[in-house]
Amino acid sequence: MAETNTQNAAQYNYDIVRKFTIMAIVWAVLGMGVGVWIASELAWPFLNFDLPGLTFGRFRPVHTTLVIFGFGGSALFATSYYVVQRTCQVRLYSDAMAKFTFWGWQIAVGLAAITYMMGYTQGREYAEMTWPIDLLIAVTWVAYFWIYVQTIRRRSQPHIYVANWFYIAFILATALLHIFNNWAAPVNLFSLTSYSFHAGVQDAMTQWWYGHNAVGFFLTAAFLGMMYYFVPKQAGRPVYSYRLSIIHFWALGFMYMWVGTHHLHWTAIPDWTSTLAATFSIMLLMPSWGGMINGIMTLSGAWDKLRTDPIMLFMITALSFYGMSTFEGPLMSLKSVNALSHYTDWTIGHVHSGALGWVALISFGSIYHLLPRLYDTKLYSLRLVYVHFWLATIGIVLYISAMWVAGIGQGLLLRAFDDYGNLAYTFVETVSFLHKPYVVRAIGGMFFVSGVIVMAYNIFMTIRQSKREQAEIEAKLAAKMA
Amino acid sequence: MSEQKHTEGSVQTTGHAWDGDLQEFNNPLPRWWVWAFYATVIFAIVYWIIYPSWPMGGSYLKGVMNTITYENDKGEEVTTHWNTRALLAYDMKNSDAAVRQSEYLEKVTNASYSQIAQDPEMMAFTRSYAKGLFGDNCAACHQQGGVGVIGKYPNLVDDSWLYGGTYVNIEQSIQNGRRGNMPNFESLSDKQKDDLSEYVLSLSGHEVNRNKAQSGAKVFQANCVACHGADAEGNTAIGAANLTDRIWTVADVPGASNLEAKKVAIKQVINNGISRHMPAWSGRLSGDEIKLLTVYVHSLGGGQ
Repeated sequence: MAETNTQNAAQYNYDIVRKFTIMAIVWAVLGMGVGVWIASELAWPFLNFDLPGLTFGRFRPVHTTLVIFGFGGSALFATSYYVVQRTCQVRLYSDAMAKFTFWGWQIAVGLAAITYMMGYTQGREYAEMTWPIDLLIAVTWVAYFWIYVQTIRRRSQPHIYVANWFYIAFILATALLHIFNNWAAPVNLFSLTSYSFHAGVQDAMTQWWYGHNAVGFFLTAAFLGMMYYFVPKQAGRPVYSYRLSIIHFWALGFMYMWVGTHHLHWTAIPDWTSTLAATFSIMLLMPSWGGMINGIMTLSGAWDKLRTDPIMLFMITALSFYGMSTFEGPLMSLKSVNALSHYTDWTIGHVHSGALGWVALISFGSIYHLLPRLYDTKLYSLRLVYVHFWLATIGIVLYISAMWVAGIGQGLLLRAFDDYGNLAYTFVETVSFLHKPYVVRAIGGMFFVSGVIVMAYNIFMTIRQSKREQAEIEAKLAAKMA
Repeated sequence: MSEQKHTEGSVQTTGHAWDGDLQEFNNPLPRWWVWAFYATVIFAIVYWIIYPSWPMGGSYLKGVMNTITYENDKGEEVTTHWNTRALLAYDMKNSDAAVRQSEYLEKVTNASYSQIAQDPEMMAFTRSYAKGLFGDNCAACHQQGGVGVIGKYPNLVDDSWLYGGTYVNIEQSIQNGRRGNMPNFESLSDKQKDDLSEYVLSLSGHEVNRNKAQSGAKVFQANCVACHGADAEGNTAIGAANLTDRIWTVADVPGASNLEAKKVAIKQVINNGISRHMPAWSGRLSGDEIKLLTVYVHSLGGGQ
């Protein structure tokens, strides 16, 4: 083992993978910490301390940016660089460019968080970054795309492994989404303010084309790429079905592009766009489930691993949450359901069952698999992985059930009529109803973050242990030489 | 990479291997998955036929066998293909709730204030209807149920009224808003302020120092009677408060624990004066809404 890894270290660029992995953990702790903070602000508003930078409006994009782009993005860079090298059996195309993507990405995420707290925003959800940061992201992303394609071109394997298709689709789609949604003219070169090139309904539809495909390609396709490598690796079994992987890959990519407008149901958009968005969302259900089936069935025949391997627990639970939230999504995209759910916390709950349940858990599982191999040692503690797993799972369940209660409850209160045909509740009554679910949600978030902190500790100790082992080996070698 | 095909049961792998042991079985698509996918496609096609769907040139497929007939703003009956605007227009007039509400509304808007007050059913409807209006428009200041905030927003549930508690008074307050202003009396000497505060407390039956109150009465005569009146019972025409009841809207006298603290509260008002403003609602609420809200506020406690 040690021997093959030393070979790997020379053959592959692991340094860049380590860097991104560590930053993924750092952004996870920060971004999810901010998430718990803003969740608590909603339950106990005094927590903004009247500081503009901490108010919900400014702090919320800090949370979403740090977790999606900081944590999620870094985890994707790390795993994609690892997977492409190992499945193509070739070193990453350019070390210098890879390093550039690392710094470009980290600086963009950091600057975004700082500028949001200062009040600079484009006002586009999940694309709040001002134009100079957008440019930095665009350049970084093009470099990423170039590295990835060039590495695949240089592969010493005749076939391109399925995980790489998903990663490439993610990189390509994200480039398109980012550029066309952030297309804007700065007010002047020294201003952070800009005007979007789109207007009115087109602007709203472009924003949600971006917004939903950020979910579809960034948070789904890319993490399916992660799943397609790490699940069979960790299970030690072949992927269940090659055919299914092809079919659901193309179906997923095709369907996702149509559905963004379901975020705008019952607003001033043409009705036909609403219909297409709803129907394509329904047709997206089975293509999404294709990934879940392929992941879960890969484990069939090795179910006993769930009793002994906490990393596998993370992965299987992630796939289950993936299946659940990709069922919930099409349901919510139907206009009649959306009339109840829109503008309520049901949406927030849905996003988090995907983001915490799927994205975060599959990333945690993959990082636990990755880390010992990157540092040529064993995980410091498997018991702590179990602890993390349970903290995370309890946290998610508390979070999403609280949001179901809050969202469906508020939706029903807002549309309730009394015997006289009058609205039965005032708006403020529907708001005060939310307090208890908000408290439970904040507690759920605290569980989840505690799990991440346990993970950060476990990883810190693993790296330290690896350094000690290296030092011992070197000391022994030195002793022999002498 | 190994070209040898690994088998498990009858299913074979694709024959490729990556990174040592990564392989893929070539299992067929699960039957139920394929059929479920077809089902969603059929669902979508049916949906496209019934509802507005694919764009066609400058227009779009309107959907068949799915029309809405509604009454437009001009009172004409219009039949159109299904669309959200028509659906809204239809619902606002024809849904169960809308029909029920409009029956009651017609009755109530045609009735006078006293007719509404004497009819339990109209009164019950008005309470239900105006509760929402009050919650969405008034409660932000006057609080839920109209209890107000001492020092800021008047209490609406007692029977003391700055601007009068008749239907007409309340309606005017809502329609035009109110601007309450008491100048400050900073220029009075400390002793005068002290005596005056003793006198003001004595008006509502507090035990005070009689000598001080007597000299305070003189200060009151000289400075306060123009608005509060010689009997200190206030003036609803300008919103001057009645000082002889035990109801306080600005100075937090009930919340003060002893005489000294009560005096401090009053002296603060003497020193600073008062400037309060309630916005006008005539541009934001309809005449009928204001009418029902008037009945509601009147019924909260002390309507006159």
